[in-house]
Amino acid sequence: MASVDTLSLGILLGSLLALAGILSSLVALRFGAPLLLVFLGLGLLAGEGGPGGIKFDDVRTLYVVGSIALALILFDGGLRTKLNSFRSVVAPAAALATIGVLLTAAFTAPAVMLMFGFNWTECLLVGALLASTDAAAVFFLIHAGGLRLRPRVGATLEVESGINDPFAILLTLILLEFLMIGDRSVQHVLMVLLQESVLGAIIGAAGGWAIVFVLNRLALPQGLHAPFVAMSAMVIFGLAAVTHASGFLAVYLAGLIVGNRPTRAHNTVVVFLDAVTWLAQIAMFTLLGLLAWPARLPQSILGSIVVAVVLMLVARPLAVFLCLAPFRFPWREKTFISWVGLRGAVSVFLASIPMLVGTPNNAVFFDIAFVVVVTSLLIQGWSISWAARKLHIALPRSDAPPRRVELDLPGQLEQEMVGYQVGPHSLYLRRRLIPAWARPTLIVRDEHILMPSEAEAVREGDYIYLLAPPEKAQALDRFFVDMPPPATPDPRDLGDFVLSGDATLGELADIYDLTIEAAEAQATLSSYFADELDRLPRLGDVLFVGPIALVAHTITEDRVTMVGLRLTEDDPLVPAPVLRVMQGPRRALRWLRKRIGF
Amino acid sequence: MSLTDLIAPNAILPALKVNGKKQALQEIAAKAAELTGQDERLIFETLMQREKLGSTGVGNGIAIPHGKLPKLPKLFGLFARLERPIDFEALDGQPVDLMFLLLAPEGAGADHLKALARVARMLRGPDIAAKLRYSGDTDALYSVIAMPSATAA
Repeated sequence: MASVDTLSLGILLGSLLALAGILSSLVALRFGAPLLLVFLGLGLLAGEGGPGGIKFDDVRTLYVVGSIALALILFDGGLRTKLNSFRSVVAPAAALATIGVLLTAAFTAPAVMLMFGFNWTECLLVGALLASTDAAAVFFLIHAGGLRLRPRVGATLEVESGINDPFAILLTLILLEFLMIGDRSVQHVLMVLLQESVLGAIIGAAGGWAIVFVLNRLALPQGLHAPFVAMSAMVIFGLAAVTHASGFLAVYLAGLIVGNRPTRAHNTVVVFLDAVTWLAQIAMFTLLGLLAWPARLPQSILGSIVVAVVLMLVARPLAVFLCLAPFRFPWREKTFISWVGLRGAVSVFLASIPMLVGTPNNAVFFDIAFVVVVTSLLIQGWSISWAARKLHIALPRSDAPPRRVELDLPGQLEQEMVGYQVGPHSLYLRRRLIPAWARPTLIVRDEHILMPSEAEAVREGDYIYLLAPPEKAQALDRFFVDMPPPATPDPRDLGDFVLSGDATLGELADIYDLTIEAAEAQATLSSYFADELDRLPRLGDVLFVGPIALVAHTITEDRVTMVGLRLTEDDPLVPAPVLRVMQGPRRALRWLRKRIGF
Repeated sequence: MSLTDLIAPNAILPALKVNGKKQALQEIAAKAAELTGQDERLIFETLMQREKLGSTGVGNGIAIPHGKLPKLPKLFGLFARLERPIDFEALDGQPVDLMFLLLAPEGAGADHLKALARVARMLRGPDIAAKLRYSGDTDALYSVIAMPSATAA
């Protein structure tokens, strides 16, 4: 009976710890502290060094829990990544996730060498442990931080953090092999890398399609769709790991496929995985805190902080600027991407692997990783909003999006029910406008359910439910957001047409037969303004592209978000040569910047 | 400023019945395809491509969807008045009920832009929108477009 009591006590303590973690999220949100650190701190408090005094040194458990948690977090990350944002940043994100990981590890290694005097393989190993940005931390800080990043920057960061973990893990495993077994040829390493990623991609893609297929074909009992998806993700992860493929890459891809195909119970799955991800984070960070041994830290803390500083200020920025040099990112965005290189649980999790296999110095590796992660979360995590503002990266926050209720309609996948409360200043109430693909179906007024015909003239405060295709539901927000009408712009001053700042010069040139430099084709109009003007843009600033004038129409937080297109009726070719001369030095500067990646 | 060289009397739709932006573009693409012998799908996709960069709703209930078609022999214009205003994602938020479609051949470059400018400025002219809204049939509409400053509302 005594052993049962011990187990019961374990259950009680464990769940109390998790509960404390959940409740501490309230505190953390109020103070804006990086939530993940709170969980870590909780683990530390409960652990050997803290008042909790729980003895925990089971690296195996950490490895198992960590793997499961990471797999779920990555799957969830894939699930939330919208494929069209993914496509536009796949090249820069892939560069960061592969070459970037290698470069970060390589640039961090000398600092480790200097501070700790390990051999090169060990230094590179420490570099590799720290090389990946943490998907959990990045996703969390971008979404929960209330930041509205420019779409390209946000997507690059998210996709990068999703796909660089598998590469950091591979790199770590290969370096461990070097360390334990001795030299391996470069070909061998490349072969392993290739095999793992190709196989992982195949398993992930096949698994993702299989989940979608089963979900839409089999009528599972109501509550089981979401657990089915979560468990399938774990099966994909396990299958990939068993066949020596990259399990993390596989789950991420599977998540990407499931998240972007129409499926039954999509909302339930997303909500469930959201909860699972939270629990995974809490479990992982609390365990890490438990495992860390603060009493031992002072021996290595100074060196570790130096490593952290080098990583944040030298290695990551260098890697980012080198990797993004071929892509058109303004330097502000590159600086921001460098700064949001948050380290997280992956690093500490990876650092537990040397402990598992028992390499020399494994305890020091773990301590370095722990200190670097805490430093990164503390300094970078806390300053992310500040950095976004300073670098003019964040989009202006429009009024809080209206609360949208989405309900699945079993029996088909094309339509769902979308509900809103009708606000007094909503576009819908003011103009009775609704896209043709959305059909008002129910009105709830004063706790009575009415048909739209009965509720003629929807009033302020009513709840309206519409039928709409799930992928377009978000577009309805615009009609229900509660904001005063914008002032009507005078079209004469600001151009004949208005373009979004996110349109690219290439698209514009294509439609209007304009001649532009090939390198400029990818530039958005917004970044074109930022690059061409050597100061912050002002309303009415004009740039000429051949015969048309681009006018800064709307400026929000120092970026041109709407661009007026002014057409000239007179012979448009006259002013062009003059401008070309004036633009000469700027063009040269831009060319130089592009080459040196500034 | 007359637009008679851009638009023929048969390219006027006095009362087009549509429920939304997409359908409106589809309908005018279909009519344009019928009159020019070009591919309807291609016209529609060209217009949608342009809308992606920013709505061609220029304000005051007017939209000027446009684009270029590789095989078109010359500039082509079409005017449609909608029976019921639709949301066109215009910047001023106003629903659109007057649409002028302009298609340009590949390589028309400067001509395309000049024509576009003429159309935009004509429609912005004093009282033009009101005249177009209250004119009766196809002929009345055509005379407003042909002689914008002369006709009375």
